This record gives sequence, C-alpha cells and structure tokens, in this order.
Amino acid sequence: MSTRPFPKLRPGIWDALVAAVVIVLAVVCAGAFWVRGTLAEGELTAVVSMDGQERERFALSDGEMERTYTNHGYTLHLLVQSGELRVAEADCPTQDCVHTGTIGQAGQSIVCLPARIVVQLVRTGGSSDVDVVIG
Amino acid sequence: MMKRYIGAFLTVLLLMGSLTGCGGSKQVEAQVFAMDTVMFLTACNGDGEAALQNAEAELYRLESMLSRTRENSQVTLLNQASEDFGKGQTVEVGDEVCGLIEQARTFSRVAGGALDITLAPVSSAWGFTKNAYRVPESGELEVLLTHVGMEHVHTDAAAGTAWLDEGTQVDLGGIAKGYASDRVAAIYRQFGVTSGTVSLGGNVWACGTRPDGKPWVVGIQDPNRTEEADAYVGKLHLSDAFAVTSGGYQRYFEEGGVTYHHILNPATGYPAESGLTSVTVVAAESGTMCDAFSTALFVMGEERALDFWRSGAYDFDLVLVTDDGRVLVTDGIADAFEETEGSGYVYKTVS
Repeated sequence: MSTRPFPKLRPGIWDALVAAVVIVLAVVCAGAFWVRGTLAEGELTAVVSMDGQERERFALSDGEMERTYTNHGYTLHLLVQSGELRVAEADCPTQDCVHTGTIGQAGQSIVCLPARIVVQLVRTGGSSDVDVVIG
Repeated sequence: MMKRYIGAFLTVLLLMGSLTGCGGSKQVEAQVFAMDTVMFLTACNGDGEAALQNAEAELYRLESMLSRTRENSQVTLLNQASEDFGKGQTVEVGDEVCGLIEQARTFSRVAGGALDITLAPVSSAWGFTKNAYRVPESGELEVLLTHVGMEHVHTDAAAGTAWLDEGTQVDLGGIAKGYASDRVAAIYRQFGVTSGTVSLGGNVWACGTRPDGKPWVVGIQDPNRTEEADAYVGKLHLSDAFAVTSGGYQRYFEEGGVTYHHILNPATGYPAESGLTSVTVVAAESGTMCDAFSTALFVMGEERALDFWRSGAYDFDLVLVTDDGRVLVTDGIADAFEETEGSGYVYKTVS
C-alpha cells in the first residue's frame, strides 16, 4: 500500500488576497450598517407650518435659540433649549399653545388654532416611535 | 451556473429593497384647519395628492354644513328656526344631516341617554362653546334640561327636513369628527390610498399599515400628565381601524378650587363624574360610532361601559383609564395594546 504525500499547506499569495477581500467586505458591511443605524436615529427637526404650509424647518440640536412667528394677527415666541422647544409667550386668546408645554420627541406637536401655526417634531431619515397621538 | 443564480437572487433582493417604503411613491401630507381643530392627514400609494385634495374639500364642506357656530350651516338654520319661530318650524337640512340626526338618536337610545345632541344649550351655559367659562346656577340648569332629550328632535327622512321643539338646540359636534373620518376613509379608498393616517382632533383612522408593513403606532395621551406631550397610557398598534379618545382633561376650567370639564352628563347637566378619566373606542368599521361611544361611555362609567361592551350589540373595543389608576383593555385589542413601563398604572385585560 502506497501513500501519497499531502500537498504543501503553506499559504500562497492568492490565499492572502482572498482573506484580504473577505476582511474588506466585512468592514464595508459593518460600515454600511453603522451608517444606516445613524440615519435611522436621525436628527430631531422642528417643522413650522402656517395655514397648513411649511414655512421653516430647523434642527433642535442647534443649541439655544428663539424664534418669533406672526400669523392671522397673533405672535408666538418659540424657545429652543437643550433639544426641546416650547411656546414661551403668545398673544392668542386661547393660550393652548403655551399650555402644551415643552416637546422634545418626534411625533409631538404644538398647535395654535387662532394663529393657525403648527410646530411638529420629526426625525429625519427615520420613523418615529409613535405615528399618531390621540387624546 | 450556481454563481449566476446567486447573482440573480441578489439583484431581486436589491430591487425589493428599493421598492419598499411607500411602495415606491412619495408620502403626501396635509394640515387642515376645520371644525375648531387642526387635522393631520398623510397618504401613501394610489393617487395620494388627489385623495388629500378631495379630503380637504370634504372636511370644509362638512364644517360648513354641521358647524353650530357658523352662519347658514344646516345645523345653525335648524337651531335658528326653533329660536325665531318656535315649535314645529321645519327646515330643509338635507338627507345627510337627517341621517346623522337619526344615527345620533340610535346611539343615544342604546347608550341609555348618556349621549345627547340636544345638550347644546347646557354646554353653552357652562361657556364651553365660546371659551367663556362659568358655573351656571342649578335653577338655570333645571330649566335648560327640560328642553334636553331626543324626543324634542324630529326628522322627515323622505322630505329631508327636520324641526325642533321650542327651546331645543342641537349640536352634532359629538359625532361630526367621527363622521368626517368615515368620509375621509371613503375618499382614501376611492383614490387607492392603502397606507396613511388621518387625525381629526382626537379622532384617528389608521389606513392600512405603515410603509414598512407594520401596524401604525397610536399613542394614547396619559390623562394625568397632559403637560407632557410624550406621556402615554399605552400604545395601540393598529391597521385599518378607527380610534377615538374622550377625556375630561381635553377641555376644562377651574373655579373656586373645583375643576369642571366639558363632558356633561345629560341626566344632570353637570360634568360627568363617572370614575373614568379617559375612554378610547377602537373599531374597524365606523368612526362615527367610535366618536359617539367614546363620549357616551365616559358618562356611563366603568361598570355600565363594560356591560355595554359585553352585550356585543356593537363591534368595538375599549381602553378605559380610571381615576384610581387602572387601565382596562378589552380582550379584542389586548394583543394590539402596548403598556407603558413605569407609568404607575395597573393594567388589566377585560373579557
């Protein structure tokens, strides 16, 4: 009975190339997943509409700022602080917008019916936790 | 050969991936100011733009027909006829208003009078109609209550007319937004919209599923934490369903250290103190019914509300929040309801 010798197991240049391709693919896939994850997290953005038309949109991560909007003769002062916003002051008769308090999550909104101003929070590039709120 | 199959398979996967998310079409949105509230509509698939345009026109049409405060609406004309000419003055209100009055009559009857469209003058006496709040004298309420009751409202369906007894006034506000959601749902279907949300001031219709195929997530406002817009009693995962919430926290005022809310008990004329702080009604078929029953069951209280649900006379489910910190979910939607951890509520499924 004769035995054949095993082929030499020393890795060659092609083996190294295959390994390199696998590593590059793994890194690219991981990177793609990471980027997708970050996008899904998205940036919290305030969308301001008047009479149903979008007028302005700004990211809440822009630090502290104030915004003033006037529509139908009423003026609202918006205050953005620490990634949240509220209507600090308004001269509308109902004051519902002021009483809504602070909002800081996607899907939330502040409505001023007399001024017909709506401020909605949306998360760019991702879906929010809650689609609609009732009550 | 194998490699070719793998290549083809990957191409198909890639195509599927790019086609999901609103079925390849853009999500369209609209904000509509009507019926004393702001309405939010989103639509995916089908002719979304046309659906929203038609829905908006329909919402304005309904407002101009059903508003109690708008001049020349059918409801205003009906109320004015009773005021100006007294009993028996017929008004041509049309088939649609006649039908709504009759629907309100049915809902009122089955709910033991817990909902009543003739409560309008009592609601006005409390100032809830014009945000001019006051606590009426008990004698004033007694007089007003003599005009409350569906027996004071008459319709002639064949002629499309209605008339009121002297001193009686009607307000269809308790079912108008629910009816509007039914109408918008019909328009969405007409234009092939298969995914979207319709939110009409506490009245929600979840059309189909989200673009990712999952049910829509509807947060129910925590009635005890109304200052926090993200405080939910729980979340409902809904597709093709109407959901309406009624709660005393939605409109109220304080006087002499007492809180008076806007959901009045037709039997007493005072704000309903039934032990419930919020009632959510969920059903597949009718937004009008959900709207009517959310108010009626709030007035009826836990026991009567659950008895009515168990009777099976109408197909709906409930989320009740009690003033002693319990959340009761009927078993038909138990699987669709997600509790809020750390909310402090005690959750219970009811069967």
